[in-house]
Amino acid sequence: MALLDRTARGLFLVELVKGMALTFSYMFRPRATINYPYERGPISPRFRGEHALRRYPNGEERCIACKLCEAICPALAITIEAEPREDGSRRTTRYDIDMTKCIYCGLCQEACPVDAIVEGPNLEFATETREELFYNKDKLLANGDRWEAQIAANLAADAPYR
Amino acid sequence: MPKLTIDGIEVEVAPGTSVLQACEQLGIEVPRFCYHERLSVPANCRMCLVEVERSPKPVASCAMPAGEGMVVKTNTDTVHKARKGVMEFLLINHPLDCPICDQGGECDLQDQAVSYGYDRGRYEENKRAVTDKYMGPLIRTYMTRCIQCTRCIRFVDEIAGVPALGGLARGEHLEITPALEAGVNSELSGNLVDVCPVGALTSKPYAYNARPWELRKTESIDVMDAVGSNIRVDARGGEVLRVLPRLHEDVNEEWISDKTRYAIDGLKRQRLDRPYVRGADGKLKPATWAEAFAAIKTRLANVPGNKIAGITGDLVDVESVVALKDLLTGLGSANMDCRQDGAQFDTSNRAGYIFNSGIAGIENADVVLLIGTNPRWEAPLVNARIRKTYLTGKLKKVAVVGQNFDLTYPTQFLGNSGSVLSALADGSHPFVETLKAAKNPLIILGAGALRRGDGLAVQAAARAIAETVGAVREDWNGFNVLHLAAGRVGALDAGFLPGPGGRDLAGILAGAQSGEIEAVYLLGADEIDGAKLGKAFVIYQGHHGDRGAHRADVILPGAAYTEKNATYVNTEGRVQHARFATFPLGEAREDWKILRALSGELGQALGYDTLGQLRQRMAQANPVFATLDRLVPAVWGPFGQAGTVADAHFASPIENFYMTDPISRASQTMAQCTEAFLKPALPAAAAE
Amino acid sequence: MFETLAQLWDQLPLIIRIVASILVIAVPLLIGMAMLTYFERKVMAAMQLRQGPAMVGPFGLLQPFADGLKLLGKETVIPAGANRVVFVAAPMLTFLLALVAWAVIPFGAGLVLADINVGVLYLFAISSLGVYGIIMAGWASNSKYAFLGGLRAAAQMVSYEVSIGLVIITVLLCVGSLNLSKIVEAQKTVWFFIPLFPMFIIFFISALAETNRAPFDLPEGESELSGGFNVEYSSMTFALFFLGEYINMILMSAMTSVLFLGGWLPPLDIAPLNWIPGPLWFIFKICFCLFCFIWVRATLPRYRYDQLMRLGWKVFLPFSLIWVVLTAGVLVYFDLLPN
Repeated sequence: MALLDRTARGLFLVELVKGMALTFSYMFRPRATINYPYERGPISPRFRGEHALRRYPNGEERCIACKLCEAICPALAITIEAEPREDGSRRTTRYDIDMTKCIYCGLCQEACPVDAIVEGPNLEFATETREELFYNKDKLLANGDRWEAQIAANLAADAPYR
Repeated sequence: MPKLTIDGIEVEVAPGTSVLQACEQLGIEVPRFCYHERLSVPANCRMCLVEVERSPKPVASCAMPAGEGMVVKTNTDTVHKARKGVMEFLLINHPLDCPICDQGGECDLQDQAVSYGYDRGRYEENKRAVTDKYMGPLIRTYMTRCIQCTRCIRFVDEIAGVPALGGLARGEHLEITPALEAGVNSELSGNLVDVCPVGALTSKPYAYNARPWELRKTESIDVMDAVGSNIRVDARGGEVLRVLPRLHEDVNEEWISDKTRYAIDGLKRQRLDRPYVRGADGKLKPATWAEAFAAIKTRLANVPGNKIAGITGDLVDVESVVALKDLLTGLGSANMDCRQDGAQFDTSNRAGYIFNSGIAGIENADVVLLIGTNPRWEAPLVNARIRKTYLTGKLKKVAVVGQNFDLTYPTQFLGNSGSVLSALADGSHPFVETLKAAKNPLIILGAGALRRGDGLAVQAAARAIAETVGAVREDWNGFNVLHLAAGRVGALDAGFLPGPGGRDLAGILAGAQSGEIEAVYLLGADEIDGAKLGKAFVIYQGHHGDRGAHRADVILPGAAYTEKNATYVNTEGRVQHARFATFPLGEAREDWKILRALSGELGQALGYDTLGQLRQRMAQANPVFATLDRLVPAVWGPFGQAGTVADAHFASPIENFYMTDPISRASQTMAQCTEAFLKPALPAAAAE
Repeated sequence: MFETLAQLWDQLPLIIRIVASILVIAVPLLIGMAMLTYFERKVMAAMQLRQGPAMVGPFGLLQPFADGLKLLGKETVIPAGANRVVFVAAPMLTFLLALVAWAVIPFGAGLVLADINVGVLYLFAISSLGVYGIIMAGWASNSKYAFLGGLRAAAQMVSYEVSIGLVIITVLLCVGSLNLSKIVEAQKTVWFFIPLFPMFIIFFISALAETNRAPFDLPEGESELSGGFNVEYSSMTFALFFLGEYINMILMSAMTSVLFLGGWLPPLDIAPLNWIPGPLWFIFKICFCLFCFIWVRATLPRYRYDQLMRLGWKVFLPFSLIWVVLTAGVLVYFDLLPN
């Protein structure tokens, strides 16, 4: 009986038809993908995108050159040089991130005691040349200024879980 | 010999040993802040609490002498609880600013807070804040971080001998305050940074520059004075960022002088980073190595060997001295001298020019006679050792012939003229009796005293004193020469001295004036007046654009002491190796390699291509170079040349402690120190 | 109005009439081919829950033209070891053969370029020639992958032509003519896919193999041959292969429609179905077949080569042979043989 069953199934291409029916039914299911540049998926507050250096509301840069991010960076992507500023405070004279080395692990923002370096929500920072991906302090601070509202909102959203 | 039990292990210790030291002998770590093995014991931080049986409370182990039959426990809950309590109290007023603190990463408090700290503070009240104090251009203060261990006060009092710091008020309000807010005027003030267990005192020039984990650490030797302090060179990239002392009980203990520690910014300034050749218009022009060598070859082509001379400077390593000596010998010249300061003394006997007793040997002396020297400036660590011996009470008397300086311990001033020395030498001076009565008399003859025209006689006089008073015995050699230059003893050992028929420094200079010397090779020699070199063709090889380079016709850029593997011999005759920490700047190369390359150009190729081969050659030249970090006792023998010591005063060989060589002269930090400490009349320094 | 136009048409010189007729077929065909690539990507995307091309033009409709322009703008690379003449001739041949076959396809009653009485034979011959283009390409590329791809294509197409031939014979038995228009006319009462359903299935599957489509796309075999016979082709030479392949797809769909789905005939000759013009019905049917091509591609994984051969020789060949005999027997026994 089983043999007959199997033969009949083979002869009438049952499996084939089932498969075809399945793919056909999929045609009418909702799309899993989105039309990316015009539609966007939701981004978690913890999303680790492009780096930014933040400032305090009074415009003072947060980074205090403690170099913990540089120390923890597993890809050695961060380079910091520091010296006392005129007012005697500890500031960086150089804060470079090699975005081509960065693995976006987020350890830098975890290490930062003052929430200065953060990985913002921006994921669209492709460039045409490699050199443009060597971020310096100016670029990172500009990023911070540009994304501050969203970064602050993200940090606030994630704060209860820390 | 008390016997006690610590954590179940029985140990027998010397009488007077504290419990903490007994624990250390067993390798049991006891946390501490105020306790420092080279300082007195105040027992005020309470971190080293241990439990002792039959004691109602935990006891501070640093101040508790080990007693017979004591049973000590260092790892019980009581001990941990007690230490955690102490730590919590310490952290009450300590700010939580580790991220901006330069001590971060090498901070005792940080480390011990990991073991004994609580992860949150229970202290709700306001923290204490303390105004920062001015401690000179070397030390940056951040007094809020101070945990009042008073190590700094004890250091300046006991080691540096400059009572510049004190504590005002008491309890929580205790503040470390420099006397008169005038900075810590000591040659050893930099050690305060190391002594401070927290970030209250940090290095000012190094402020915020780097973190300890970023630095590449190289164990090396200092060349700022002839002590040969053991140092650790911390570099990042191509830049030396700081120098720290390395423990060497026989040389520098764990201290280094400020010049050693802070002159390193001179390594970045005024450097020669490419060869130069003086053009037809009399101006130095940048050149390639090939052009520089070609210029030398052309100029020396028709110069007979005996018209060529070589002079080495203060910072030269033995490798390059031997290479230069071999090169000059190959060219047929015997005109060479390593005493660029013009000092004259008998070099035939090694005992006649080294610090025979060794620096550690000072601790055995009971009477010290200083002749024409200011050890506080010439060798701060020798001075610190004398002070240490003085503080133990073993050293009864220090007498001075020469300028009378404040040496941080009481001295008996015998006079400043040569006649005093003559009187001591012939036994007519009353102090001779004191020396004779001493068990281990020690005579320190400064290099400055030998610079006089009658250096040979001074040396002979000193030898006479040593022999009369019994300073030279089978078991004790108290005749010491204190050199100023790190390269000097090495060059003397290498025999960079006038050969048979050769000219010494004076002869070379005279020859250069009269035209009998046509070419002079200055190997890092910067203390020679360019005008005295006449019309001679001057080749300067060195690392700084200092005096020597100004007069040079061809400049060959060499490597500074942090940039090469080099051998230095300190004033004791101790052979030590400095190690490569950073690359030489630009086109500059290691000195012996330059000489090796030049020798090839000149057709006198030296017989060694590697450092190993060169060191073999050195050992062949003088077996002492084959030893490492070992004192080879010199055989006592006759040296010097008896004669009349001129009555002239002994002049201080150092006018400015902070600027004695090309590196420290190029250093901004040293310039600031000169401003702050050597021009005390300027009120601006204190007001800064 | 139509009559005047028809008169005007008759007055034109023959050569112009021929060229115009060819253009009337070829231009929509090329546009249709372009839309087919778009259609394929969209349908595949839908079945895989993706978006498909959406960026160029409205709904990405201009994507095929962008692709074409891109290919046009590229450099034609001819490998150093290739036989240049054969290498260049191969894609041209493929494209040419794909177009030439359309001469005999009837789009409606009388709407055919060459209404020859051996239309089926002609079609069969032309589609068999298609293998030459691929073999030439595979050989001339002087590349292992291309050569293997060419060999596979040749073996595969030859194998499946046998069963296609037998399927066609069954149809011919029912029609009694080799003229394609006659074949369509013969389906006025019932489309052949109903009485000859197994043959219809075999024909369709063989058509997949004949056009090197999934699941029989072994000549291309990206995963093992990195592109197969056309691996060395670039720019327009590649575009011609591509065009040829897709036009062949349309051609096989057209053949399926003509042989089994009643060509231009409506399903039932009743209003409102017969209001729709015949050519439109024909296009609908072609579209349906093409959809099935794509549908199969989106559903089935690629066959192994031995499975492909087994299917062709050991299943389809005996089965279709039996069916030919059966059909012939039935026709003779019930005296249903046409004329």
